[in-house]
Amino acid sequence: MQMHTCSQIIGFTRELENTSAKFYEALSQKFAKEEDVFLSFVKENKKYSAEVERTYYGVITDAIEGCFAFDINPDEYAFQAELPEKVSYAEALDRAMEIEDKIIKFYSDAAEQSKSLMADVPRAFAMIVKKRGGRVSMLQSLLGKGA
Amino acid sequence: MAILEEPIKEVKTIKNFIGGEWVESKGEIKDVVNPATGKAIARVPISTKEEIEAAIEAAKEAFPDWRRTTPLSRTRRLFRLKELLEENFEEISRIQTQEHGKTIDESRGETRRGIENVEVACGIPTLMQGYFSEDIAAGIDEWVIPTPLGVFGIIGPFNFPFMIPLWSAPYAVATGNCVIVKPSSEDPNSQIRLAELVDEAGFPPGVWNVVNGGRTVVSSLLEHPGIAGIAFVGSTPTAKIIYKGCGETGKRVIAQGGAKNFMAVMPDANVSATIPALMTSFFGNTGQRCLSGAVLVIVGEDDSFYNDFMDKVVAAVSRIIIGYGLDDSVQMGPLRDKEKKERVLGYIESGIQQGAKLRLDGRGKVKIVGDYPQTCFLGPTIFENVTPEMKIGSEEIFGPVMSVMRAKNLDEAIEIANANPFGNGNAIFTSSGKSAREFQYQITSGNVGINIGIVAPMAFFPFSGMKDSFFGTLHTQGREAVRFFTESKVVIQRWL
Repeated sequence: MQMHTCSQIIGFTRELENTSAKFYEALSQKFAKEEDVFLSFVKENKKYSAEVERTYYGVITDAIEGCFAFDINPDEYAFQAELPEKVSYAEALDRAMEIEDKIIKFYSDAAEQSKSLMADVPRAFAMIVKKRGGRVSMLQSLLGKGA
Repeated sequence: MAILEEPIKEVKTIKNFIGGEWVESKGEIKDVVNPATGKAIARVPISTKEEIEAAIEAAKEAFPDWRRTTPLSRTRRLFRLKELLEENFEEISRIQTQEHGKTIDESRGETRRGIENVEVACGIPTLMQGYFSEDIAAGIDEWVIPTPLGVFGIIGPFNFPFMIPLWSAPYAVATGNCVIVKPSSEDPNSQIRLAELVDEAGFPPGVWNVVNGGRTVVSSLLEHPGIAGIAFVGSTPTAKIIYKGCGETGKRVIAQGGAKNFMAVMPDANVSATIPALMTSFFGNTGQRCLSGAVLVIVGEDDSFYNDFMDKVVAAVSRIIIGYGLDDSVQMGPLRDKEKKERVLGYIESGIQQGAKLRLDGRGKVKIVGDYPQTCFLGPTIFENVTPEMKIGSEEIFGPVMSVMRAKNLDEAIEIANANPFGNGNAIFTSSGKSAREFQYQITSGNVGINIGIVAPMAFFPFSGMKDSFFGTLHTQGREAVRFFTESKVVIQRWL
C-alpha cells in the first residue's frame, strides 16, 4: 500500500530505525570484537528516529501538504534484518550494507518528494542520508579489516 | 491499516470551568458525536444565562489581582502551559480527530499552531511595553501605557476547535485580562482538555473560564456590561450579528466570518508542486475552513494547458483516501455532521441545476478505508465551467467541492476574485515575480498566498480578512492581538 501522509512516513521511519537498531544489537552480540561500533549504530538509530519525530512535531501545520506530500511504496525499502544462526562476519556486514542502502534510498526518496512542499522534514531526511554515508564507510572499513 | 488509539473512551457529561472549579450545568444536554464512527463520545451542556453570568462574575472578581500580577509572572504560567501542551500534544491531537473527524496530520498541525500562539504570547513582557517621550515641552514628559480592559468573551467555531480560541486567549490573559471561552458545542472536548491544563499550569481561579453552550451564552456575552470585548470566529451572518451587537454595547470586537477563496493558476506555474498544494487547499479539513480553496481559476487561453492541468487535478483528487482520521493513511475525513453534508449536497445539486459541468461526483457511496457508516462522509467533487453568477461560484460551500473557472489573463482572474463579497485567503500559483506582485497588489484579500494554498498566518502575524470575511479593526494573533486586548493610557507629566 502506497504511503501518502506525513504521519505514515514518520511511522515508517520509526519502524525502519527500530528494525535497524535490533539488527545491530544482534550483530553486537554475535561479533563482540566490534561491539562498541555496532552499539554506537544502535544509539544513532534511536537518535535519527527522535530527530525526525521532533522535526515533524515541531513544524507540522495545517498549512502545508501533510496529507499529500508523499507517494512511497514501503515494499521498495523492505529488508531482511534477521541473521541466520551460522552467519559469517563478512556476510553479516554485507547484510548491514544492504540494509543501509535501502534506508538511505528511503530517506533520499522521501526528501526528494517532499522538498518543495514540506517544511524542515525533508531537510532532516537529507541530513540523515549524509550521516548514514559515514556509517556505510565504517562498515566498508570493517569489511576490509575482517577479510 | 492501523488505527491510533482513541483518547476518549467513555461518554462523560462535560462540565463548565468557572472560577477555577468544574461545575455541572443545569442546562439541556446534547451528544457530541464522532462523525466517522457515528458514536457519541461525550455529552455537552447548553448552559443557562445564570451560568454564563456566574462565569462573568468570577472573571470580574479575578481581574484586579490578575492585572496586578507582573507580566513576567503571568508569562511563567504561559510557559508552564506550553510545556503541558507539548507533553499532551498527541492526546490533544487525537481528541480533535475523534470529535471533529479531521485527519491526524491535520489535528497535529492544529495543535502545533495553537501552541505557537501560547509561545508568542510568552513574549508579553516586551510585546506590551509602552513608549515614552521626554520633554514634549519644557519639563513635561509623555508616555503611553497599554492597560488590560477586563473580561473578554472568546467564541470558537467547530472547524478548528482547539486552535482558534488560542488565537486570542493567550494574548488576553498575558496582557492581564480574564477570559470566558465558549467552545463549539459540536466539538468541545479539546477546549475542556486545554482548560484542565490551564488549571494545572497554575492560572488563578477566574482568569480562564470555559462555558459550554449555544445562543444563550453568546447573547449573554454580547449584552453583559461586564464584558469588555469579544473575539469571534464563525460564519459571516453570525459575525455580522456579533459585530453589530458589540457596536451597540460599546465592546471591542474581532469578528471573523466566512470565505470564498480563489486560487489562480498561471500557465507558468510549477505544476508538480502546485497540485499537492491544491489538494490540501481544497480538500484538507474536508474543505471546512475559511482558508480553503473554493474556486480554481485557470488563467490563459491555452486549451492544452487547461486540459492537461485539469486531467492531473482530477487524477490526484480521485486518488484521495477517505476514512477515519485516526487511521494515518487517510487523507480526508468526514464532514462534521450529517446536516453539513446535506448542505454541501444542496450546493452540488445547485451546481448541476445552474449548468456547471460535473467533472467528478463525490455523491453516492463513498469508498471508505475501514468499516464506518456513510452518514457524514462525502467524496471530493469537481465542477468545471463554473461562473461567478452560480451559487457554487459565489457562496461559501464549506465542503470538499472544487469549482473551476477560466480567466483570459491575470487581470480577469483578479477581477473575478475581487467581485466576490468575501476576501479571506486568495492565492496565485506562478513562477513569475511580476505576476505574483501584481496579484498581491490588486487582490482585496486579507491573506494572500504566493504558491501557497492555505494562507494561514503564523502566530506572530495577524490573521487578517477583508470585506465580508472580517468585521473589526484589529485582528487575532501576534502584535495586533496585544493591541486588541489592551487600551492605550496616555500620561502627560509635569512636576511643579
